[in-house]
Amino acid sequence: MSFGAPLGLLALAAIPALVAAYFLRRRQPPRIVSALFLWRTPDQRAEAGPRFQRFSRELSLALELLAVGCAALFLADARCGETARTSHVVVIVDGSLSMAAEVDGETAAERVKDAVAKLAREEAAGVMTIVESGVRPRLLAGPQLESARALSALEAWRPAQPAHDLSSAVVMARELSGSTERRLFLFTDGPPPKSLALPPQVEARSVGRSADNTALLTAQRHDEGGVATVTVRVGHFGAKAAKVTVRFEAKDDAPQTQKVELQPGGSAVLRVGLKTSQPVTVSLPDDALAADSRVTLLPSPLADVPVGFFEGLDVPALAAVKRFLAVAPGVTVASPELLSIGPPDTRARLTLGAKGATRSFIGPFFAQKAHPLLDDVMLGGAVWTAGENPPGRVLLSAGPVVLMSEEDDGAVHLNLDVGKSNVQRTVAWPVLMGNVVRQARLGKPGFPRRHLMLGEDVPVVTTAGSTWLVRSPSGEERAVLGVGALTLPPLPAPGRWELFKDGERFDALEVLPLDPRESDLRDRGPWEVHAASQAGVASLATVTPRAFWPLFVLLALLLVDFWLTARVPKSQLPVGRGPGRGAAPR
Amino acid sequence: MTPRLDYAAVERAAAGRCLKLPRVPHRGKVGEVRASSVGSSLELHDFRLYQPGDDLRHVDWNAVARTGELVLRVRQDEVSPRVEVLVDASQSMAVSAEKAARAREVALWVTTLARHGGLEPVLIAAGQASRRAAGPATRTLLSALEFDGKDAFDLALKRGPPLLPCGLRVVVSDFLFEAPPDVFAERLARGAAGLALVQVLDVEDLDPSAGVGAKLIDSESGASIERLVSSSVVDLYLERLEAHVALWRAAARRVRAQWIQGSAGRAVDELAKDELAALAVAA
Repeated sequence: MSFGAPLGLLALAAIPALVAAYFLRRRQPPRIVSALFLWRTPDQRAEAGPRFQRFSRELSLALELLAVGCAALFLADARCGETARTSHVVVIVDGSLSMAAEVDGETAAERVKDAVAKLAREEAAGVMTIVESGVRPRLLAGPQLESARALSALEAWRPAQPAHDLSSAVVMARELSGSTERRLFLFTDGPPPKSLALPPQVEARSVGRSADNTALLTAQRHDEGGVATVTVRVGHFGAKAAKVTVRFEAKDDAPQTQKVELQPGGSAVLRVGLKTSQPVTVSLPDDALAADSRVTLLPSPLADVPVGFFEGLDVPALAAVKRFLAVAPGVTVASPELLSIGPPDTRARLTLGAKGATRSFIGPFFAQKAHPLLDDVMLGGAVWTAGENPPGRVLLSAGPVVLMSEEDDGAVHLNLDVGKSNVQRTVAWPVLMGNVVRQARLGKPGFPRRHLMLGEDVPVVTTAGSTWLVRSPSGEERAVLGVGALTLPPLPAPGRWELFKDGERFDALEVLPLDPRESDLRDRGPWEVHAASQAGVASLATVTPRAFWPLFVLLALLLVDFWLTARVPKSQLPVGRGPGRGAAPR
Repeated sequence: MTPRLDYAAVERAAAGRCLKLPRVPHRGKVGEVRASSVGSSLELHDFRLYQPGDDLRHVDWNAVARTGELVLRVRQDEVSPRVEVLVDASQSMAVSAEKAARAREVALWVTTLARHGGLEPVLIAAGQASRRAAGPATRTLLSALEFDGKDAFDLALKRGPPLLPCGLRVVVSDFLFEAPPDVFAERLARGAAGLALVQVLDVEDLDPSAGVGAKLIDSESGASIERLVSSSVVDLYLERLEAHVALWRAAARRVRAQWIQGSAGRAVDELAKDELAALAVAA
């Protein structure tokens, strides 16, 4: 016999206390009576006399001691014999979206569930670990969960991951198996990617089936002037050309349909305009993979950016900025402002001006090209007059002079004397200001993007002093930790995810179940790769299911003890109140 | 503190009274009271047929003339009746000092009344050993009496000498033992012209306190049981006690004995005034 949790044996310390309590209970205050027979029940007199009472008390003590022993065995996780050699089966299931493809009335995921259940029976799995592959592999069941519970967890599994590499899931499964020798089982629906070098311990099996499929490959929506412009790309993965009808629906506008003929492996872009401010649903006729045939696009109007000005901004700079604002969409001068513009040495989000002695540069300019503020900013032909270096991280410089910098709190400094420069008259100026406005817009609380593809990281902006959480399409909630512009890991399920601030719905986004690589089912098919390793099929479990028999015995003992000590014999019922009328002394 | 025996209280309770004797003939020494034995007094007791050896002077010749049978006229003796007081000296009589004291006082009260009536009281205490005293020695015996019997009263009585015929037998006990009341009452009544059963019970016997768990120990056998003395358990006890007393009362009635129950919580003079009043008459 071994113990999974030896500390549970500390429960045996209750035995001395129980015995002490028993003897203390036996030592009740004595009371001399004239006639004991009047206090005794007829049963006791007739059957066993006073010895019966002692016997029942001792039996009660014995039952309680046994109960303590059983509790200790349960808490200590006692195991013996066969349970100490429980086998541990580790399974990797492909979580990609294509596993939901239904062919011949059954999805690949359902075939995987059947195969895993069969495997558990064949290998007499005591415990199982099931890993779902994905962009980030996750544990579906385990580690080392009882096989029945693991299979139950697998039943609730709904694969919806984008195309991904299986190797990270294999590594995770190997670590969880606790053995580098024993075999692992991988269930997927397609041929193993050539990039996947399967370890020799992996026994891989595909349950996929080839099928034609027409899918939405991308979907976008742009709202402007009360019109939602929806653009989708439709692809056809089949052996023959197909005519497809695409349907666009919104609650407050008439549905529209478009027909398109697609060649095998070909795609087409469709665009419609709907006068709606409601979500728009784009759908294709049902086929093998239903998930990629229907998407819902949320309204995505351009967020307004209110702009404010600090005192002290010189006239040329103010004029240049206002000239840009006059043509920039979604930007207004309003309060409270999201983007503040002011002279140097103010707390404005964008400072514009040059301090001290100025120098003019015609190049060369050194820019942080990857920085979003400098996207597409071309300074050829520009004369940039700058003063003293501003604080912060350098984004743009000319020689030793810093022309543009960014501080940790997001404040941007433009070291530019607009009156002496021609930058504001070049194409770089609206692009640069447009980037500043876009960054300001991205700093607005909520989801900057309303539509994400499967497996994409999720940008979100939160503010301090509030509780933020996102709610999945199935209602699960997860807290958003951090303040400011954050990036959440890819959301695991397609559908609508909502953002809540202090319990109130604040924003929403739609994860679109679109991935062309998952929509192509033509090359799916059954295959098997046998493990090169000849070691045992499963590893030995280091965690075995807790034995519950001590708990059941404990409950039975307590019930018997309760019956023994708490029961009131019928003969003790007062005369006239029960069938024991004959209890009166003779 | 309860005295073992309050002589003054007993004397007060017995003052001006004597024992009330039964109307049926008594047994005892020759004296003023008619006995149940056949004797030579002039009082006619009965008629019977002549048996060889009978005194021919007692033949009723008139009856012989009327019936043709030899009929004897049987006459009664005049006796001074013997009063026997049996005291249960088992340990159950001493579960409390009050109960022991009251038992001694009741026995002394009976002997005192007997002496007031000019009778000769005999006291028999049946405990671990059987002790006997007569006349004034009864007071000494009661004063020194220890309730030490470890057996029930009926068993203790069996160990002692056989009970002699007497005029009046008064038994002082708690009658809390498991002997069949009918059999034992008949035994006590045998040979006695009159019988009085005086049950002395402790306050705790009559009204046990409830509320706590206790190890109940029998005062005589030492056997014990543990019981939570709840009100329902006490109710059950009282019902059994009542039934037990009812059985004794019925047994006493069958042998024409008086059944008297007294609480040790009351003083002997109070008992004499009420419960024991049936045993006494004005001197």
